[in-house]
Amino acid sequence: MIVAERKPLEDIREMIAGYKKILIVGCGTCVTICWAGGEKEVAVLSSQLRLASKKDGNELEILEATIERQCEKELVEALKDKVQQVEAVLSMGCGAGVQPIAEIFPDMPVYPALNTTFVGMPEGEGVWVETCRACGDCFLDKTGGICPIVRCAKGLLNGPCGGTNNGKCEIDSEKDCAWTLIYRRLEQQGRLDAMRKYYPPRNFQAVIRPGKVETLPA
Amino acid sequence: MDNGLKLGVFLCDCGGTLSKVTDFSAIKAKLQKLSDVTYVGISHDLCLKRAQQAMQKDIKDKGINRVVVAACSPELHENDFMNVVQSAGVNRHLLSMANIREQCFWAHPDKGKAAKKAMTQIGMAINRARFLEPVEQTQISVNKDVLVIGGGITGIQAAIELSNLNLKTTLVEKEATLGGKLNRFANLYPVQVSPEEVLATKLKQVAESQNIYVLTSAELIDVSGEVGNFSARIKRGNGEFVRNFGAIIFATGYTTQFSSQIYGLELSNNIITQSQLEEMLKSSSEVKQIPKSVCFVTDISDEHSRVSPLSALRNALGIKEKFRGEVCVLCQNLKVDGAGLEKLYRDCRNKGVLFIKFDNSPRISKQDGKIKIEVEDVLMSGEQVTLPCDLLVVEETSVPPLDSKVLGSTLYMGLDAQGFYQENNVHLYPTASNREGIFFAGNCHADLDLMQALTDASNVALSAYQLLAQGKIAVEAEKVMVDPNKCRFCLTCIRACPHHAIQEAKVNHEKMVAQIADLACQGCGICAVVCPAKAIKPKDWSDEQILAEFELLGEYV
Amino acid sequence: MKAKGAFLPDIVAFCCAQSAYQAADTAGSMRITYPENIRVIRVPCAGRVDVLHILRAFEKGADGVLVLGCHEEACRHLSGNIRAKNRVQRVNTLLQEVGIDGKRVEMFTLAPNQGSRFARIANEVNERIKELGPSPVKSGA
Repeated sequence: MIVAERKPLEDIREMIAGYKKILIVGCGTCVTICWAGGEKEVAVLSSQLRLASKKDGNELEILEATIERQCEKELVEALKDKVQQVEAVLSMGCGAGVQPIAEIFPDMPVYPALNTTFVGMPEGEGVWVETCRACGDCFLDKTGGICPIVRCAKGLLNGPCGGTNNGKCEIDSEKDCAWTLIYRRLEQQGRLDAMRKYYPPRNFQAVIRPGKVETLPA
Repeated sequence: MDNGLKLGVFLCDCGGTLSKVTDFSAIKAKLQKLSDVTYVGISHDLCLKRAQQAMQKDIKDKGINRVVVAACSPELHENDFMNVVQSAGVNRHLLSMANIREQCFWAHPDKGKAAKKAMTQIGMAINRARFLEPVEQTQISVNKDVLVIGGGITGIQAAIELSNLNLKTTLVEKEATLGGKLNRFANLYPVQVSPEEVLATKLKQVAESQNIYVLTSAELIDVSGEVGNFSARIKRGNGEFVRNFGAIIFATGYTTQFSSQIYGLELSNNIITQSQLEEMLKSSSEVKQIPKSVCFVTDISDEHSRVSPLSALRNALGIKEKFRGEVCVLCQNLKVDGAGLEKLYRDCRNKGVLFIKFDNSPRISKQDGKIKIEVEDVLMSGEQVTLPCDLLVVEETSVPPLDSKVLGSTLYMGLDAQGFYQENNVHLYPTASNREGIFFAGNCHADLDLMQALTDASNVALSAYQLLAQGKIAVEAEKVMVDPNKCRFCLTCIRACPHHAIQEAKVNHEKMVAQIADLACQGCGICAVVCPAKAIKPKDWSDEQILAEFELLGEYV
Repeated sequence: MKAKGAFLPDIVAFCCAQSAYQAADTAGSMRITYPENIRVIRVPCAGRVDVLHILRAFEKGADGVLVLGCHEEACRHLSGNIRAKNRVQRVNTLLQEVGIDGKRVEMFTLAPNQGSRFARIANEVNERIKELGPSPVKSGA
């Protein structure tokens, strides 16, 4: 899933300064699951903004809405009634959610309340870690399903660096050395031969940015 | 605007005592002016049957559909008032209470301030009442069979008691025979009956019972489902099978372990553990070399355990009786409690067992094959005592069986700091686990002696009986409810539920959502708070109700 | 403008029904008094108290919020009190971001029989909030 976290309140207030009525839009998919922009966080941000404006004596009215996915234009269109009532929209979706709203309502200023951080998975309660760099040239077949491009601090392709330290990374002793994990996994599968193969430097432009995937309609 | 609300407010002045400090008719007059308030009544004793009958009649006659009671603490009579409401034909959850006695007139001697606060509190309760929701009572039929894990004396006793209560019980033991520690103990002092006799009597009861099904050399692998309908996967030999049960009792006991690090000693032929000594005492064959002097050391590795000092006492007496000779127990405080244990201590002394108390751990060394113990005797003002002995018996700490941790995590049960099973609440629910329908008995969750373990087994059997005997359990349907349209199936609540009461389910055989098992849910509301989609609503404690208590305030004060 | 001495803070106290609520009852039963401006709201577990409930209390003009739960390791729902503690910490930060002193929200743990502790907490918090003055969000403040 896409993982995001909320911007500091100060930044958000700066964006919406001067508006008297805004709409905060949550997204019901990835950012709900990573506790950053679901219905609950929309309510928390909205409460915080009301408190802050009340404190400063500013007038601010907030509408709230959370839709299934902000990255789908059809779903965004459902916001029309509410958008028409406000002066600006604050999106609590990832970057891919902010843009369709801005596109569907081109007259409306749309601001991001979140910073989109990475593609990852939950590690513990309230903790998410990056597990995919979206590089466009998946390497996982060679590494026992552990991605060295994102999980090795140096993104090495041919085994660990000299800094691997009892299975930990020299950059951060809290983090596992990806190549130690890969070695163990391949060992477990009896595929250690894969470690012997040399992989030349990668093409880091496997995806020409901005990326586009085209398939024939089903 | 007609919202259909007909609020009935019932004030109680607690036998006239509260009327002495405030004017109830003034409160009544104010309340009568409020919107949606259909009826306001004053009673002197709402806790009594007569007044409750009148209340029931008022609810019926006035067509009241939300009831507010302003009286003593809801902790006292809330359930009674719920019953009154129910008997008046209104859903029992449509009741809201204002605690104007303990938390108002009793706490605030200033009459003016108390009267004002009482009005606020009643206002809060009225506001809450506006958002109350009915919760329907239903019954879920349950499997009446009980699974007991662990065939030690606790498990055996639990199975016997359950079978006497006419519940079919499956007793699973991982060893080849039942009996557990009883097979290893040489005596059961202060109980005068031998372990063999106790076990034989119990095993006879097990064998004669029509209701007990014994599975030895078997292990529990996994459990799915909820209270009333658990499915247990059991492994026996190379085979695996699944059986269904209504409740599960864990009586997996403890094992012992000697920590050579704490003692700075290695075990040898003349330094042995309590369990090795038990073996020696129990063995019927002649002991080649009868130890003339035996020393016990206890209270070093774990002063809080009941198991270690108790075995020191039992075995000290056992040695005296079997080998005579000198016996000395080195201890700090020898904390033992329980029926007959003081007598056991006296018996030891009367038989000539010497007790030496220490503050600083004794120094133990070996000299010419003999053991030399140097210790400062506290009772002799710290005087240095040197004791040579033939045999030194060291204590062991009790530790959970190896598989506790694995079972604990597969079944979502909590473990305490030592790794034993953690009760839901040591004081209030001493044998209940965090999961409904799973219970703990004996030393797998507490440090108990034999009699206490047997009592524990009875308690647990009764708890299981209480739960299952009717074959169905009354349950409040969807008292905490997941809105399947809002649920994003993020698993947050499933992971957070302390009672493992939330599971995945399919809506219309398609979309996966979280679903709360009514029987397993204990209504804490944690799930509702952690849900990032605000999809969960505890009907008795909804956000609307909680917020209403302070959001709509002001107008009543 | 009212003199500072006359300021009577609005304090909302979310009380766990298993412990703190009963402690408040105990205080009353023992005739131990505490400031009457503490508004007790009964919840099934401190773990039911949401960050949102606390924020909304401030929106509605509360000067301080208390979350009172069971002592650690004595929660009937195992983690409810710990979760409440973490949430109170989060609200502290959220309020601080807004420019409201985070100290206006506090969490305490107590047992049902600790009536005098309940009264002591109520008194102390009342005094602390008086020191802080009315909430900056309060209308007319």
